[in-house]
Amino acid sequence: MSEPLKRLATGIDGLDTLLKGGLIAGASYIVQGPPGAGKTILANQLACNHVRGGGRVLVATLLSESHERLFQYLSTLEFFDPALVGDPIQFVSAFDALEQEGLDAVVSLLRQEIARQQASLLIVDGLLNARVRAQTSLDTKKFVSELQGHAAFAGCTVLLLTSARLQEGSPEHTMVDGVIELGEQLVGSRAVRHIQLRKTRGSGALSGLHECLIDQAGLRVFPRLEALYSHPGQSGVETFTRVCTGIAKLDEMLGGGVAKGSISLVMGPSGIGKTSLGLAFLAASAPDAPGLHFGFYETPARLRLKAAALGHDFAEREREGSLELCWQTTTEGLLDQLGAHLLDRVEALGAQRVVIDSLGAFSRLAFDPARLNAFFRALTGELRARDVSVLLTWEMRDIFGSEISAPAPDLSSIVDNLLLMRFVELESQLRRMVSVLKVRDSHHDPALHELCIGPQGIVLRKAFEGASGVLSGTPVPQGRD
Amino acid sequence: MNTILIVDDEYLIADILGFALEDEGYLVEKASNGRKALDALKEKRVELVITDYMMPLLNGEELVRAIRDELQLPDLPVILMSGAQANQGRICPELFAAVFDKPFDMDRMITTVRELLGT
Repeated sequence: MSEPLKRLATGIDGLDTLLKGGLIAGASYIVQGPPGAGKTILANQLACNHVRGGGRVLVATLLSESHERLFQYLSTLEFFDPALVGDPIQFVSAFDALEQEGLDAVVSLLRQEIARQQASLLIVDGLLNARVRAQTSLDTKKFVSELQGHAAFAGCTVLLLTSARLQEGSPEHTMVDGVIELGEQLVGSRAVRHIQLRKTRGSGALSGLHECLIDQAGLRVFPRLEALYSHPGQSGVETFTRVCTGIAKLDEMLGGGVAKGSISLVMGPSGIGKTSLGLAFLAASAPDAPGLHFGFYETPARLRLKAAALGHDFAEREREGSLELCWQTTTEGLLDQLGAHLLDRVEALGAQRVVIDSLGAFSRLAFDPARLNAFFRALTGELRARDVSVLLTWEMRDIFGSEISAPAPDLSSIVDNLLLMRFVELESQLRRMVSVLKVRDSHHDPALHELCIGPQGIVLRKAFEGASGVLSGTPVPQGRD
Repeated sequence: MNTILIVDDEYLIADILGFALEDEGYLVEKASNGRKALDALKEKRVELVITDYMMPLLNGEELVRAIRDELQLPDLPVILMSGAQANQGRICPELFAAVFDKPFDMDRMITTVRELLGT
């Protein structure tokens, strides 16, 4: 029977997920990336977390940078505790040994220091300097190999940090068990950090580029949602049950509400009432089936006012624990960070119904639009698997007109229910129209209905029966030439 | 002329401090760790040691204890350069003639050196 590899958790949000549980204990890894990519932060965050778990760390620098300067920078980060330095985390410089005596002296020094410190994690910063000092690639291999050997003998996991962009065939890469690459790219005027596991010997990992950021908490990694949830985490409901939309007439149109764990997309122009439809959907939340509003445009205060205008007391719902209004800004942020945050809130609240208002905000954060479909598929798949009934909104650009632009290619195949809202000009009056375009696995009423929003809430009534061309926005009453 | 031994694995700090002390007329020797410092002290007459705390092989405290016990030099003054954020509560200040938190004021260090050497 195969035994799982012993893991050394990095304690870094998301990175352990990429590594399927952490670094392999006793293995050696290269962390590479250009200056400023976050290598030192990653290593020191890992060191602090490792010490908090009972480990001991030796940080050896082959650089001329002062440790005091490093501590000054690290002291601005929440994970760093200066009290850990000097005993459980020992910082030593091997620069002099490298300069004066060469690579063998560095290996000898570190061998003694690993034993003296009883280190279970060795971090060597400045591998590039060792490479420069090596006369041949064989010298580099020998250096890495000897270091690995001494560390392995002491049961010590090794991280080698370098600002060189080492290629797959480099002597260093061939020797180590894993390669973690950090980088940054400009997207428009924004800099976006990313992390990639370029080599993970003998271990599964989430490959490809993943977004990450550095803030006061240190490095945070957000695995690509479609990689993380390539298979939904839970099996979902096995029986077909329906949940109400909060609007009785709409439930009728949908054939008795929406299926529990289904995804509904409401498309329509700005001001048509998509948010109001979402608020009605959330008004049907209960303490044993809470609802989450994950919105980008309207603050919780405005949503409460809007709900009150429809006859719903959202503040009371929030107090009783049946509702959470989660507001996100759209100015900065990462697509996968947003997806992870949404799923975290759903998990924390135990949400049974979710309104995402709107999908367009996710699209704006997608630096690679080609990912969007897979992203939405993974996100909705995971929500569906958790039995969450979801109402998504999508703002159409044209206030009138028959053209319908989809939020992402093939999105209609992802959603179970599709509702279209349109402004209609009829007899010198602007009216709101809603129709059900699709209900998966159920009959539905395809008739166009007028939607009225007022103090009595949202009321739907059959309308436009005597007119044609309603979806164009400018219907013509029948019988008129 | 008095000789001062600077012990620090970070060569930049050792160099900068060394230049400042040489400008004051002192002879300066350097060692990159505690073990090398002990070797140097066996070979040369040194009037003052300035040492870092966190170093390979022997830390600053282990070094001063070795100076007292192994080398039997109870009166050799030793100044400690300690990381202000690090080593909190781990240092025995009574082992040292003076303790400086890094980064330190060079003028104050030179004044302390002069006082300890009576120069």
